[in-house]
Amino acid sequence: MPYYLKKKVIKWAVHLVMIIMLLVTLFPIGWMMFCSVKENLDILIGKIPLSRAHNNTHEIFADHDSLWVLTSDGGINKWDIKSLKETGYVSAQTSSTHYLFDKDYIWVSSANKGLLRFEKNNIKKSKEFKMPLPELDKAKVVNTTLVSGWGKIYLTVQYQGYEGLIEFNPATEKTTRVFDLTNKLSPTQIRSLLPVGGKMWIGLDKGLMKFDIKNGKVEAVYDLSQYLPIGVARLKAVGGKIVISGNNGAFLLDPATGKVIKTLYADNVLGLKVFGDKAYIGTNRGYKIYDAKTGGMAGHEMLFRQVRADGTVIKDSEFVPSDVSAFLKVGEKLYIGTTFGRISVFNEKLNKVVDTSSARQGHLVISWINYVDMWKNVEFGLYLRNSFLICGLATVFAMMLSTLAAYALSRFDFPGSKVFSMAILATQMVPGMMFLLPTYSNFVKMTEFTGIPIKGTFYGMVFVYSVFYVPFSIWILRGFFAAIPAELEEASRIDGCSPLQVFWYIVLPLAVPGIIATGVYVFLTTWDELMFAWVLTSADTMTIPVGIRNFVGNYQNRFDLIMAAATVATVPVMIVFFMLQKYIVKGLTAGAVKG
Amino acid sequence: MFKKLWKRFVKYRIAYLFILPTAIGMMLLHVVPIFQGIYMSFLDLNQFTLNQYLGAPFIGLRNFYDILINGNSPIRLGLVEATRNTIIYTAVVTFGTLFIGLIVALMVNREFKGKGLVRTLFLFPWVVPTYVTGILWGFMWQKEVGIINILLKDVFHILPTKPFWLIGPNTLWAIIIPTIWRYWPFTMLLLLAGLQQIPEELYEAADIDGASSWRKFWMITWPLLRPVWAISILFGLIYNVYGFNIVIMMFGFGAGFPGEWGDILMTNIFRNAFMQWNFGMGAAISVLLMITMIIIVNIWFYYYRRAEEIRG
Repeated sequence: MPYYLKKKVIKWAVHLVMIIMLLVTLFPIGWMMFCSVKENLDILIGKIPLSRAHNNTHEIFADHDSLWVLTSDGGINKWDIKSLKETGYVSAQTSSTHYLFDKDYIWVSSANKGLLRFEKNNIKKSKEFKMPLPELDKAKVVNTTLVSGWGKIYLTVQYQGYEGLIEFNPATEKTTRVFDLTNKLSPTQIRSLLPVGGKMWIGLDKGLMKFDIKNGKVEAVYDLSQYLPIGVARLKAVGGKIVISGNNGAFLLDPATGKVIKTLYADNVLGLKVFGDKAYIGTNRGYKIYDAKTGGMAGHEMLFRQVRADGTVIKDSEFVPSDVSAFLKVGEKLYIGTTFGRISVFNEKLNKVVDTSSARQGHLVISWINYVDMWKNVEFGLYLRNSFLICGLATVFAMMLSTLAAYALSRFDFPGSKVFSMAILATQMVPGMMFLLPTYSNFVKMTEFTGIPIKGTFYGMVFVYSVFYVPFSIWILRGFFAAIPAELEEASRIDGCSPLQVFWYIVLPLAVPGIIATGVYVFLTTWDELMFAWVLTSADTMTIPVGIRNFVGNYQNRFDLIMAAATVATVPVMIVFFMLQKYIVKGLTAGAVKG
Repeated sequence: MFKKLWKRFVKYRIAYLFILPTAIGMMLLHVVPIFQGIYMSFLDLNQFTLNQYLGAPFIGLRNFYDILINGNSPIRLGLVEATRNTIIYTAVVTFGTLFIGLIVALMVNREFKGKGLVRTLFLFPWVVPTYVTGILWGFMWQKEVGIINILLKDVFHILPTKPFWLIGPNTLWAIIIPTIWRYWPFTMLLLLAGLQQIPEELYEAADIDGASSWRKFWMITWPLLRPVWAISILFGLIYNVYGFNIVIMMFGFGAGFPGEWGDILMTNIFRNAFMQWNFGMGAAISVLLMITMIIIVNIWFYYYRRAEEIRG
C-alpha cells in the first residue's frame, strides 16, 4: 500500500473511532432528555421510540367528491371519494378531539387547544378560539363535545366538577352565552349533546337532561343510571324517538316520558349514527342496524383489515372484527371507521366490503406535560432560588477570601506562608465527612447555647460553602497571580503606590479572568454538592441536589418525571458552562499543566 | 528575638492582613473540626449520646478495635466490603479515566474540520451534575426498563437474558462506568492542554529520524505529558476515594442501599453517621481513611519528586 493511501486510511479510521466515541459519550445525555418527554408507560414496557397518538376514526363526512376522515389525534384526512386516495392532510395535534362539519369549515374542539376552525378548501387552520372555561387541568379533560343547532355552535367538556354549556356564534366568532347546567343529579359530567326541535338533549354521566336553550332552563332530568351506569355517551334521534348509548348498550327512549322503551343492544357501543329511519350502532365487533320503521335488527362483522403491532395496516389481509366508531352513508355505500384510522366501504346492496383504506398515523406524542407534572410535584422554584442564593453568595465570598489569600501567598514570602500552603494542600486530602461530622454537631450545639439557628439557614450554608471551597480556589488563583509580572508592581511602587493601591489598581484588574474562571468552577462545584447540603439544610433552604433526591426517592416508578427533573437540573449548568467555557478551560488547564 | 519577629511581622503586615479572613474561616471550618473529629473517634457518640456532644463517654480505641479487629462487629463486615469496593473502584476509575482521556485527547489534537465543536461535545458529560449522573445511570441500569439491558438483549442480542446490574457483583461495574463517563472529559481537557504545549519540532526531528508513531508516543508524548498525568492520577485517587454523589444517587435514587458490591467508603460512613447516627464510628473510619490518604499522597509525592530529580 502506498504511503499516502495508508495515511489517508488511518486518518479516516481514527475519524470513525472518534465519531463512535462521541456518540457513545453523548448517548446517556440524549437518552435522559428523550425519556423526559416520553410517556411513562412506554418507558415501563421498554419501548424505545416515542408513541404515536391514537388515530382512531372519529367521524367520516363527505362533500362533493371528497371524503373526510377525521381521527381522534386531530388528523384531518381528505380523500378522493372514488379512489380513496389522499388529496390533503393536516393534523391539529389535539387531544380529546371532537369534530363538527359545516359548509365551509371543520370545527375541532379539543382539551389542549380549545376550539379550532379549519378551512375546507385548502385544509388550513384558519382560527383558534379560546374557550371561556375556568382553569382546567388539560390532562384531566376526558372528552369534548361539539354540536351545531339553531345557527350556533354548542360545546362542552367532560371534566370533573364542570357543568356548563358554551354557546358560540360562528358568524360573529364570539361566545354568546354560557349556561349553568347544575341539576338534581349533580355533581355530574356532560358527555353528549343532541339538539332536537327547540330543545337540547344533554347526556350526563347519570342520565339525560332536557334543556330549553331559549330561556336557558332545565326542563326535565331523567335518571338512567340503571341502564347506563357510566353515562350517556351518545345520543341520536330516530323516528321521533331518541337512541341513547354508552358502555352498557343502546336503548330506545321516548322523549315525552323519558322512559326506556326498548333495548336495542346490550354491550359496549362505540359509535352511533342515524341515516333516515335507520340507526347504526357501532359495537366492538362490527355494527348493528336498528330499523325504526320495522323495528327489526340486522348487523355485520368482519369488516376491517388487520394491523401490525406498530399500528400500521396490513394491506389485503383477512377481514377481522373491530370496534366501529364512525359511519357515513352515501347512496348504497356505507363508510365505516375503526381504530388505527381504518376505513372500510361496505356496499349494502352487494352485502360485502368493496374497498378499504386507512388514515395517516397519529402524530408523535411529545409529553411536555411531564415537565408540568414534575414542576407541580417538586418545589423546583424554591430549590432553584435556594441554590442560586447559596451557591452565588458562597462563590462571591469564597472568591473574596481566596483572592486576598492567593495574592499574599504568591507575592510575599512571609513567615508561616509555607505552613499555610501546606495546610491548604492538606485540606484537600481530608475526607469531607471529617469536617461534616463536627460541623454538624457544632452547629446544633451553638444553636442550643445561643438560640440562633445555624443549621438549616442560608447564612450557615453560605458560610460553610464559602470557606470550604477557599483552599481549592487559592490553589488555582496562585497560578494566575504568579503569572502577573512582578516588575509591574515594583514599577508602580516606585511611582508611589501603597501596597494596597498596587493590589487594587494594578494586580486585581489583571487577575479578573482568573478570578472569573475560578469563581465559575466554584459555583458549579457548589451547585453539584450533595453531602453537606443533605445534612445541613432544612425544608426551606434545600438546594437542588437535595430537593431532587427527595423527589426521585418518592417517585421511583415515575421515570418520566425523574428524567424531567434531571434534565431541568442539568440544562442551567450546561448553559452557564458553555457561555463561559473559554474562561473555565483556560483557567483550569493553566493551573494543572504547570504542575 | 521578639523584636526581630515583630519587625518581620510589620514588614509583611499586608500579607497577614490578606490571609487573616481565610485563616479565621479555615480555623473554624477546617482546623478545629479536624481535631474535634479526631477526638470524636474516641467517643461512644451514637444516637443516644449525640446530645452530650464532646461529653459523650470516652471509650479510647474501642471504635478502632471494632473497625479493624473485632470480627463480631457488624460495621467491620460492611467496611471490609466497602474498602474492597473502594480500592477496585478508585483504581479502575482513575486509570480508566486516564486511558480514555488520553486516547480521545490524541484523537482531537489532530487538525480536522469541526475540531472546536467536537472538543466541546466531548466535554458534555463533565458538565452533567454528579447527582444527575447517578440518577441517570441508575435509570439506565434498571433490569427491565433500563436502556442498557434493552440494547444488550433486545436490540443487539449480545446477552441471552437481562442481567441485574444494581444487585450482586455487577454493581461494581454499574458504579465504575458512570464515574469514568463523568470524569474522563476533564482528564482529556488537561491532557489536551499538555499536548498543545509539546513543541512540534520534537516530532519533526523524530520524523526525520524515521521513528514510528508508536515510538514517538512513548519517547516524546508520554514523558512530556508526565506532569499532567501525574496530577490527574493524584486527583483521581483523591476524588474517587471520596466519591459519594454518583453512588448514593444510583441506588433507589438516593433512597436505597448500594449493597455489598456497590457500597464505597463514603456512602458507608454517611450511612453510619447520618442514618444510624453513629458519629463516633463515622469519625473513626474517617480518621483511618484520612491517615491512609495522607500516606498514599506522600508516596505519590515521593515518586513524583524522585522522577523529577532524575529528569533533572
